[in-house]
Amino acid sequence: MSVVRIAGAQGFYGDSPMAAIAIAAQQGADFLVHDALAELTLSILQKDRLADPNMGYARDLETLAKFLIPIAHQNGIRIVTNSGGLNPESAAQKVAAILKQQGITNFKIATITGDDLLSQLPQLQQNGHQLSHLDTGKPFAENKYPPTHANVYIGAQSVADALNQGANLILAGRVADPCLTLGILVHKFGWKLTGNLSQPDLDRLASGIAIGHLLECGGQASGGNSYAEWPMDYPVSNLGYPIAHVSEDGSAVFTKLDSEGGKVSRNTLREQLVYEIHNPAHYITPDVTVDLTQIQLTELAPNHVQVSGAKGKPRPNELKLAIGLHEGFITEQFFFFSWPYAYDKCTRFIEAVNEIWARLPIRIERKEFTIVGVNGIHPGAAPTPPPDVLNQLNELGVRLAIKHSDANTGKIAMQAITCLGLNGPPGIVSMPTWGKVNRVILSLWPTLIPRSAVQETVQIWEV
Amino acid sequence: MQLLKLIDLAAARSGDKNDVCNIGVLAKTPDAYQILKKHLSADVVKKHFGSLITGEVVRYEWDSIEALNFVCHGALDGGASRSMRMDTLGKNFSSHLLRLELTIPD
Repeated sequence: MSVVRIAGAQGFYGDSPMAAIAIAAQQGADFLVHDALAELTLSILQKDRLADPNMGYARDLETLAKFLIPIAHQNGIRIVTNSGGLNPESAAQKVAAILKQQGITNFKIATITGDDLLSQLPQLQQNGHQLSHLDTGKPFAENKYPPTHANVYIGAQSVADALNQGANLILAGRVADPCLTLGILVHKFGWKLTGNLSQPDLDRLASGIAIGHLLECGGQASGGNSYAEWPMDYPVSNLGYPIAHVSEDGSAVFTKLDSEGGKVSRNTLREQLVYEIHNPAHYITPDVTVDLTQIQLTELAPNHVQVSGAKGKPRPNELKLAIGLHEGFITEQFFFFSWPYAYDKCTRFIEAVNEIWARLPIRIERKEFTIVGVNGIHPGAAPTPPPDVLNQLNELGVRLAIKHSDANTGKIAMQAITCLGLNGPPGIVSMPTWGKVNRVILSLWPTLIPRSAVQETVQIWEV
Repeated sequence: MQLLKLIDLAAARSGDKNDVCNIGVLAKTPDAYQILKKHLSADVVKKHFGSLITGEVVRYEWDSIEALNFVCHGALDGGASRSMRMDTLGKNFSSHLLRLELTIPD
């Protein structure tokens, strides 16, 4: 039976390329899948595009073009990614230029576009689409913030089409993470994706989504970020990323390179299986709705785990559109105090900050104070020891965070409290580079949109 | 009465989707899974998180991998991009849940 090997080569925008380079160099996979788009990434890319209309794609593509793509191409390995972000065309031009510089020819880049509906929002509303909020039901017209991006989650069809046209590299926009992998399988095995689908057809698609879901976060499926394998008795500095050997029937064996660190076990895979899943019997994707509750994970040998048993249900009639909205800014800062009286000094400092801010002519919409070492990560839930115990600790920190709509407010507020370095509780240690001024607050407006409102385009760029 | 620590019975991983945080709880053994199914209810989890979770907690059973999935609504201070917390993505909801102790009647 024919098998295709797909590696989860990147888990997020900014991930290390080293695992992918090792897989490409050792010919450990036939396809590399690079997922670059978390829920917020498109907002970051939109900021880039506003500053420079030629930007708006994941910039680490340039690193991949220099150090990964030449090795992958030499070894006949094809790459599928949504790193094209908001600007797959510019990404293609940039990658093509870098590849040309290295003397690479006979290389096809495919771009997938059509997911970016930002400029079409007014027209869609005029055409009668209310773009009602998925949770609250409010029509989009009632939203009061400016939209930063609007991308619809699209499926595997264009990925399969681009591979059928011989693409060596696919630069897509908002293809849903697991659909990058499903597209490869549809291309490779000719699985039926649309039309009248039988239960075996649906189950195969569901298997593809399950495999894609296990691959989409890279090292999180092969022993990274792991409580299930804690104390993580394997190297993590060179973590080997997961590789799925997928058979035509949709079953797969997950493994990793022997030369690299990490681990692929039943535990590492079930830990990734639950990640960012809501109802496991009803995992909705653009191509198929998946029941993951009957999935079987079987350890065949060390670092070899078989995955099977995903069940499919017909795909939803509508697609999910996520609109980003610019709601204002968050500014945060950290300060530390040591023994003696570390806790009392923190609370006294917070008191003084509150008094200073109350005298300023600025509008702080919300403020949060936490004590790092006590309740920094779990405010409102962490058990707090009594002050006499806390005062025995060698050090504690204060984190201040404020929400504001005016871009100057954060700077003014933080400048106004620097005097506490000399005037406040003794021995303050400030960490100015830890804080962030004017981190943009985005809210996401999720809505549904008919498939007919979305027109995907595959374009081939020859290098 | 028996006091069982969740960290001895299970591992956990949490992640974000807008203002929803899901916590997958992975039992260490089939016996531990039966204990968790019986005693680790959505109510117990919601109570353990206090004001960190403002909405409903829904529990899904996942027998084939001995896991419970807790979907916590209103858990991320409006969602990662709006949150004023340090852990904007809720990656440590898993950690806090593992601190839980279950009181099992004899």
